[in-house]
Amino acid sequence: MMQQQPHGVAPDLAQLQSTMHAIELACSSIQMHTNSAAAEATLLSLNQSTRPYKLCQFILDNSQVANARFQAASAIRDAAMREWSSLTGDDKKGLIGFCLCYVMQRASSPEGYVQAKVSSVAAQLMKRGWLEFTVAEKETFLHQVNQAIIGIHGIDVQFSGINFLESLVSEFSPSTSSAMGLPREFHEQCRKSLELHYLKTFYCWAKDAAVSVSARISESGTKVPEVKVCTGSLRLMLQILNWEFQPNVTSAKAGINVFSPGVRSDLTASKRSDCNVAQPGAAWRDALISSGHVGWIVSFYAALREKFSTGRYWLDCPVAVSARKLIVQFCSLAGTVFLSGDEHMQQNHLLQLLSGIIHWIDPPDAIAQAIESGRSESEVLDGCRALLAIATVVNPILFDHLLKSIRPFGTLTLLSNLMSEVIKVQMTKRSDDETWSWEARDILLDTWTALLMPVDTSAGNTMLPLDGINAAANLFALIAESELKSASASALDEDDGDDYLQASISSMDERLISYALIGRAAVNVTIPLLTRLFSERVALLHQGRGIMDPTPTLEELYSLLLIIGHILADEPEGETPLIPNSIQSDFADTVETQNHPVVILSVSIIKFAEQSLNPEMRAAVFSPRLMEGKSILDIIVRVSVTTLLSYPGEKNLQALTCFQLLHALVRRRHICSSLVLLDSWRALARAFTNEEALFLLNSVNQRSLAQTLVLSASGIKNSESANQYVRDLMGHATKYLIELSNKSDLKIISQRPDVILPLSCLLERLRGAARASEPRTQRALCEMGFSIMTPVLVLLEVYKNESTVIYMLLKCVVDWVDGQIAYLESRETAAVVEFSIRLLQLYSSHNIGKISISLSSNLISEANTEKYKDLRALLQLLSSFCSKDLVDFSLDSDESQSTNIAQVVYLGMHIVNPLISLELLKYPKLCHDVSSNNFIQKHIDVLASLKLISSFIWQYFALLSHMLEVYPETVGRLDSEAFLHVLGTLDFGLHHQDTEIVNMCLRSLKALAAYHYKETTSGNLGLGSHATPVKDPRGDMQDGVLSRFLRLLLQLLLFEDYSPDLVSPAADALFPLILCEQGLYQKLANELIERQVNPSFKSRLSSAFHMVTNANQLSCNLDRMNYQRFRKNVNAFLVEVRGFLRTV
Amino acid sequence: MSDEEHQFESKADAGASKTYPQQAGTIRKNGYIVIKNRPCKVVEVSTSKTGKHGHAKCHFVAIDIFNGKKLEDIVPSSHNCDVPHVNRVDYQLIDISEDGFVSLLTDNGNTKDDLRLPSDEALLTQIKDGFGEGKDLVVSVMAAMGEEQICALKDVGPK
Repeated sequence: MMQQQPHGVAPDLAQLQSTMHAIELACSSIQMHTNSAAAEATLLSLNQSTRPYKLCQFILDNSQVANARFQAASAIRDAAMREWSSLTGDDKKGLIGFCLCYVMQRASSPEGYVQAKVSSVAAQLMKRGWLEFTVAEKETFLHQVNQAIIGIHGIDVQFSGINFLESLVSEFSPSTSSAMGLPREFHEQCRKSLELHYLKTFYCWAKDAAVSVSARISESGTKVPEVKVCTGSLRLMLQILNWEFQPNVTSAKAGINVFSPGVRSDLTASKRSDCNVAQPGAAWRDALISSGHVGWIVSFYAALREKFSTGRYWLDCPVAVSARKLIVQFCSLAGTVFLSGDEHMQQNHLLQLLSGIIHWIDPPDAIAQAIESGRSESEVLDGCRALLAIATVVNPILFDHLLKSIRPFGTLTLLSNLMSEVIKVQMTKRSDDETWSWEARDILLDTWTALLMPVDTSAGNTMLPLDGINAAANLFALIAESELKSASASALDEDDGDDYLQASISSMDERLISYALIGRAAVNVTIPLLTRLFSERVALLHQGRGIMDPTPTLEELYSLLLIIGHILADEPEGETPLIPNSIQSDFADTVETQNHPVVILSVSIIKFAEQSLNPEMRAAVFSPRLMEGKSILDIIVRVSVTTLLSYPGEKNLQALTCFQLLHALVRRRHICSSLVLLDSWRALARAFTNEEALFLLNSVNQRSLAQTLVLSASGIKNSESANQYVRDLMGHATKYLIELSNKSDLKIISQRPDVILPLSCLLERLRGAARASEPRTQRALCEMGFSIMTPVLVLLEVYKNESTVIYMLLKCVVDWVDGQIAYLESRETAAVVEFSIRLLQLYSSHNIGKISISLSSNLISEANTEKYKDLRALLQLLSSFCSKDLVDFSLDSDESQSTNIAQVVYLGMHIVNPLISLELLKYPKLCHDVSSNNFIQKHIDVLASLKLISSFIWQYFALLSHMLEVYPETVGRLDSEAFLHVLGTLDFGLHHQDTEIVNMCLRSLKALAAYHYKETTSGNLGLGSHATPVKDPRGDMQDGVLSRFLRLLLQLLLFEDYSPDLVSPAADALFPLILCEQGLYQKLANELIERQVNPSFKSRLSSAFHMVTNANQLSCNLDRMNYQRFRKNVNAFLVEVRGFLRTV
Repeated sequence: MSDEEHQFESKADAGASKTYPQQAGTIRKNGYIVIKNRPCKVVEVSTSKTGKHGHAKCHFVAIDIFNGKKLEDIVPSSHNCDVPHVNRVDYQLIDISEDGFVSLLTDNGNTKDDLRLPSDEALLTQIKDGFGEGKDLVVSVMAAMGEEQICALKDVGPK
């Protein structure tokens, strides 16, 4: 074990040596994996020992074991960070100086990682003291570094110096700095100081170092040691250019022009490839722009490239990679570093870069060929990145113009050619591996996106120059060709696994958005092209019918529809899509609607969709996948009638039709009003009531269809005919229910599957209709509900063992009551209340004390889950009654007839409560069958049931707290069993892990106690016997409920863990509790005080208890003011005492 | 199973049919289905497609309602499946005989004595204990495809 170093006393040599050996031994045994626990303990004690600096320096200087030196360096760092404030200024400087000297003196050491570590320790210490050192002190250190970088001590030292600056810059950059246990402001101040005073100097040092060695490298080759220095300097320069420059606030008002030419504001747009825009500001102009520095780096790279043109490996060697990265970063230079009045400055800068970069990417075909025959692709990829960087900082016109001075074509043409070449490579080699062409394609697509993405401030500013439009058109044609080719090739792929499919769909979507931008840039050409491609494929289908397999053509059509859909409209995401600007403005001169290219294209698609109405064509051609293409489904109701009737069992397609197509139609009233006039809509409604096939839709779709059809009634102007429409629509369902419930042999036939199927379908429809409650059709829906009340009760009896039907019945009632309750007149309310109570009683009599028996644990847990769902539905029913007191649209004002909602809900809860055992409120053990082979599915099931249970619990406590808060007086009248049950659940809820539930319980408690206090002070009974102590069956005195909760709450507040959000609600509950039970509170407080052994804690605690009830002029009134004061008091109290109460 | 097996009988006799055809797409989780000639309860339904332009198929995972065994089936969603007629009747439990049979009281006052207690120990004790404590017990008997079994137990308490 490590001996601690006494202050100031220098340990003797022998001791140092023996400790060093111990450390060395530990390091090597960790490497050999022998006795590593003890070794780790040794190293840990080194790291944690007090003032280990002498020892560590000794190890660094003398140890032969590199790992030991590494550990010593990190121990210096840890100890210094820990003890920084107790070190003297000389100690601090001594440590930094030592590290720096160490790095410089051993620059040629072969163990690079030790050097790097010491260098980074020096950087971290330097940062730690940055704000306390004087300028002169910093200069001393930096002078030493500068001397090294100039190169007077040789190449190795020069490299070490650069290396140190790299560490230093990365320490000061917020995203890469190491934690020091200091606030953010410290790091921010360091960052600012470095950026303002040193960053540019460092950059110039690096630049000078690179320049100084460049000549030697150009002469000799990549093997000379100078290459290391050069690579390091280039890396440092790149790192500095990547710095997140903050606009200089003092000069901002004068200097920064947010709208300076070329700089685009949409830099945050999501990108697949990284591109950081560098904006160092005007101060850097001399270093970066005017010094001819860019020219040097471009020509340096060009010279080396020329020299090593034969060696394939060279493109990937570090110096080449760093140089290219630096050049790419220069492309993204923007902002006030360029003179704001001088547009040519940036242009010249970019041109200079581009003239170097052009050799990497032009001519595209030759380069692609070279890569395919083995040349490294890294250079062309960097070229693509450079184009992306340029596209990010300039507008499309300027972008295109750049190249014109050195080539006969514009940059857009080059971009288009380059991308075409990439796509051609992709088409010839269809492999699943991600090759360079994929990466290049993504970067180039981003480039197009950066150029074409509309800037939302000004519309239509993404116009391209004429030859740019041609370039886009050519490229788009090739893209379409390539997508079609890959579609037809993949048509017969059978097993695209679901996960992979999902991933590829989302990347496909991103790609389609970029394609659409390119396509829209040349709509005049691309829309007719797409029309032609589309009709060609359709014609092919007709010709080949019965002769050849249509699948590849179908897949091509599918892919075309996706592309067309994206070009014609942006992804709507729940909103009505708008026509994109470019499509609107580019065809402005075409007046006739019929000849409008977009119209022609749309019409041809609609025509194609219409052909699905022809049964013969349908059988031959229309597969379900094709019908899923969104753009087709945008169209007519007839198509949807057909999809619903003719594709039995295709759930996805039916869901699309019901939810996206039909449901979207009824969202706006003016669409509804034209909808209800359509013959096809009436046909749909007729089919809904008559057609067998529609009974086979699955439940969710069934519900949604009914809801949609009823909602469309809002388009009928006359209220009477709207109600009649709903009656006609739903009449078949109510009639069936009434007839069924009146059948004499109901008991016998009811359980037959062919009775259950139509019944469940109609119940789903009724539920859907009930959800479509609107003032206009309220009458008809209200009648609908009243007419099925008796049948529902009959069915509830008959199907008591058929849990799925029971649940549908309950949900149907719940949704109906929820939709109607606000409109009901008092007489109707009374009838609904009576019905609901009978329903509750019936349900309860069937289920109380019932145990399911099955051999399968799986079925048992299913049965439990269904119980939760039923109970949740019943609670929802009661909750919707609560809303009657808050929202009431009924016309009558006859108070005498009105129902006491609170009493009803308590009665309901009284019926339901016995079904909710405390066991049910706890999370039951769900994971019976861990050995199940489908482990993940099992977990998903468990999660789903947990979600169900927690939503049930939430529903329960929400209802409970609402009732206690709004109607505390009724709770006092509950019989003691029911009352205790309610409080038992509150007790449970207070210990629940969900803060919101605890919060609801606290609110309930507050309401209860406040009610009791107010009542008793005005001479009433309040909670009466519930609040007074009672004798339990064994004869012991039991506290009254309020005393029990006072104890519980104090225990919770003082000793248990809880979220800080709960302190205020807990204080709100505590205040009335204390007022009700002042005697007990005093007693409890005294007990706690007496328990303290430590006298100072004792006095602190007793004064704290005194303050809680006396500070801030707290009085005994339960008003807002007092609650607030008490909250403050409790907060102060907890801060004061909780710390020692919990630990002592 | 072939289609001949469930021809529609005359109306008066319809209640006696053991299974009914129903489109696979309409069978939901918690519904019933016949797999390998056994009545089952569906615990999981998923749909998949054969090829990109093929039709949907339903994949059912179901549990035999009598013996608790797991069974699976794949059916094109537009085709019909057999759905068992599962009938449940409540009886008052009068007696448990020593040879493992129960004696049940039917609605019309007769007794039904042909039903065995479940063989599983845990289930057996649940019933025996309840009966032993002198509770008034009602048992639900589930019948499907010619088999019968006690499926639930309810304490109606002393009236």
